[in-house]
Amino acid sequence: MGMSEPSMVAEPPKLVPPKGFYLLRGHWAGRAWQLLIFKRSLWVNVALTLGLLVLSTLALGAGQVKLTPLEVWQALWGMGTPVQELVVRELRLQRVLAGILTGAAFALSGCLMQTLANNRLATPGIIGIDNAATAFAVASVVGLTTSIAPPGMALVGAALATFLAFLLAGQTGTQGYRFIVAGIGIGAIAGALTQLLLSQVEIDTANAAFPWTVGSLNARSPGAVWGLGLVIVPSLIVALGLVRGLQLLRISTTITVSLGIALKRLRLVTLALSVMLTGFAVAVAGPVGMVALLGPELARLLNRHHGVPLFGAALSGALMMVAADWVGRWMLAPIEVPVGIITAVVGSPYLLWLLLRPATSGP
Amino acid sequence: MSNQHTTPRMLPLLVSGSLILAVTVLASLLLGAGEISPARAWAALWGYGSDEALFVLYELRGPRTLIGALVGVALGCAGALMQAVSRNPLAEPGLLGVSAGSSFAVALALVLGASISTLTVFVAQAGALVGCALVMTAARLNGLGHNPVRLILAGATLTSLLMALTSLLLMFDQRSADEIRFWVIGSVAGRDMSQAIQVLPFIGVALGLLAFIARPLAALALGESVARGLGEKPARIRLISVLVVALLVGSATAIAGPIAFLGLVVPYIARHFTGPDIRRTLWLSAVIGPILLIAADTCSRLLAAPAEMPLGVMTALLGAPVLIVMIRARRMPLL
Repeated sequence: MGMSEPSMVAEPPKLVPPKGFYLLRGHWAGRAWQLLIFKRSLWVNVALTLGLLVLSTLALGAGQVKLTPLEVWQALWGMGTPVQELVVRELRLQRVLAGILTGAAFALSGCLMQTLANNRLATPGIIGIDNAATAFAVASVVGLTTSIAPPGMALVGAALATFLAFLLAGQTGTQGYRFIVAGIGIGAIAGALTQLLLSQVEIDTANAAFPWTVGSLNARSPGAVWGLGLVIVPSLIVALGLVRGLQLLRISTTITVSLGIALKRLRLVTLALSVMLTGFAVAVAGPVGMVALLGPELARLLNRHHGVPLFGAALSGALMMVAADWVGRWMLAPIEVPVGIITAVVGSPYLLWLLLRPATSGP
Repeated sequence: MSNQHTTPRMLPLLVSGSLILAVTVLASLLLGAGEISPARAWAALWGYGSDEALFVLYELRGPRTLIGALVGVALGCAGALMQAVSRNPLAEPGLLGVSAGSSFAVALALVLGASISTLTVFVAQAGALVGCALVMTAARLNGLGHNPVRLILAGATLTSLLMALTSLLLMFDQRSADEIRFWVIGSVAGRDMSQAIQVLPFIGVALGLLAFIARPLAALALGESVARGLGEKPARIRLISVLVVALLVGSATAIAGPIAFLGLVVPYIARHFTGPDIRRTLWLSAVIGPILLIAADTCSRLLAAPAEMPLGVMTALLGAPVLIVMIRARRMPLL
C-alpha cells in the first residue's frame, strides 16, 4: 500500500480516534491539547442525567398534594400558585436534593473504593465505614452532650474505621478479602456501639433516631445537606482528575508507575475522597451502603465495563436514591419505608448472587 | 485412645474447665450492680440474710446465670458443629445469618399477634432452621466452600437482608417494635425462668444427637470419600447437623435474642487446647461456652454500673477482635 502511494509519506500523520471515541483537539495558551471521549459513556451520562431530571420531577410531584410535571416546573421557577410553590420549594425540594446528593456521594465513594481495592465488594458499607460513621453520629445525637455537629462526628468515625481496617488488614493493604473481613469486624463493633447508645436513652429519642440508623432521608438536618452539597462538587472535580490514574491502576500497578503517576499520592487522595464522601453522606441519610455497591455496578454495566465510570456512578447512585425514596414513600403509604431498607432488600439478593454464583471469574 | 501421648488428655482439660466454670458461676452470683455486697450475697447463698438479698440472688442472679449457662452451651456447641460441617473456621451462627433468620421469624410472629412472653421457641427454631439450611446449601456451592471468607461475606449479606426485612415488619407495628428493641440486642437479663425450662428439653435432645454424630463427623473431617469408606453417610450427617444447629441456635435465640460471635470465639479457644479433633473440640466447647457467656454477662453488669451494657454488645466487642486476629494469621487454620 505504501509503495504505490509515495505522496502519503510526506503528509503529517492524521490523528484518527479509535473506534467508539470522539477526539477533541484545540489550542490553549499556546499548547495543543487532545481529549479522547468514549462515545458510549458520553451518551450514557446524558441519558442518566435526563432520567434523573424526569424522576426528580415525578418525586417532587408525588405526595399528599399531587402535582403534574408541568406544575412542578412552574412552581420551581416561581410561576405556580403560592400553595404549589410552598409544597415544591419549601417542603419537597430539599428532600429530593438530599437524595440526589447522598446517592451521588455514596456511589462515587463506592466506585473509588472498589477501584482502589480492585474488588467490587470493597464498598464503604461492607467494610464497616458506614457503621462507624453512624455510631459516631448517633453518639453526638443521643448519647454525649457534645456540641460537635453530627457530620463532623460521622467524618471522624469514617476516618477511624478506615484507618483501623488498614491497620488490621496487615501487609495486604486494600488487596484481598482480609481487608474486607477486618472491615466486617469493625462494622460489627460499631453496630454494637450504636445499639448500646440507643438502648441507653429514652424510648422517644431512640424512636426518633431509628429511621436514621437504618438509612432514611427523613431525619436529615439542613446543615448536613448543605455541607454535603459544598463537598460533592469539588470532590467530583478532583475525582475526574484521578480517572486516568485509576484506569491504569485497574490494569497493573507496574504500568501505572512506569507511566509517571505518583502511586502513593493517587491511592491516598482516592481513599481520602472516598472516606470523606461517605462520612458526609452518612451524616445526611444514615448508612445506605447498598447504593455504593449498586450505583457503580449499574454505571459499569451501561458502559460495558469500559474504564472507571466515576461520573456515571454518581449519576446512577443519585437516580437509585431518589427512586428508592420515592418507592418507599408510596409503597406502604401512609407508613414511610426508610430508603435504607428499600436498597437493602433490593441490593442484598444481588450481592448474594455475586458471591454465590459459580466461580467463573473473580469478583 | 492409642495416641494419647500426642493429643492432649481430655480429662484434665475438662476438669480444669469445670473448675473455671464453677468460679465464673460463683462470680456471677456474688457480683452485681445492686447494693448487695459479695459478702451478703455469699451469706444469702447459704440461706441467711435479708429478704432483699435472697430475692436478688435467687430471683434475679440465679436464673440469669442459669440461662447464661444454657445459652453458652448451645451457642458454643453450635459454633463448633457449624465449623466442622462447613469446614470453615469462620463459620458462626451469628455471622452466617442463622441468628438473623431466627430473629426475623420472631419478629414475624410478633407482628402477627404473638407477645414476646408467650412466644414459643418453635418460631425461633423454625427461623434458625431455614437460615441454617440456606447457609449450608450456600457453603456447598461451587467455589464457595473452599473460601472461608466469601462465605462470611455471604452470611453478612444475608444478615443485613434479614435485618432490613425485620425492620420493615416492625414498621407496621409500634408495639412490637418497642418489645423487640431490647430483645434484638441480645441479653440474658430479666428473662423468664419458665422459658429456660421450655427450651431445656430441646437443648438436651440436640446434645444427645451431637453425641450420636460426633464420631461420624470426625470421619467426615478426613474427607468425603474416607467417610464413605468408613461406612458413614455424609449426606445424613449433614442433615442431622443442620437440625442440631437449628435446635441449639433457635433455643438460644428464643431465650436470649441473637448473640453474635460466641460461636466463633468458643471453638477457636477450644481448638487451641484440643487440636483439630472435632470430638474433643465439641465437648470442650460445651464447657468454654458457658464460661465465656457468664463472664461476659458479669462484665456487662459491672462495666457500666449502675446501668447495664447489653450482652450482645459485650460479645461483639469480645468476638470481633478474635475474628480480626484469625484473618490476620498468615495461614488460616483449615478444617
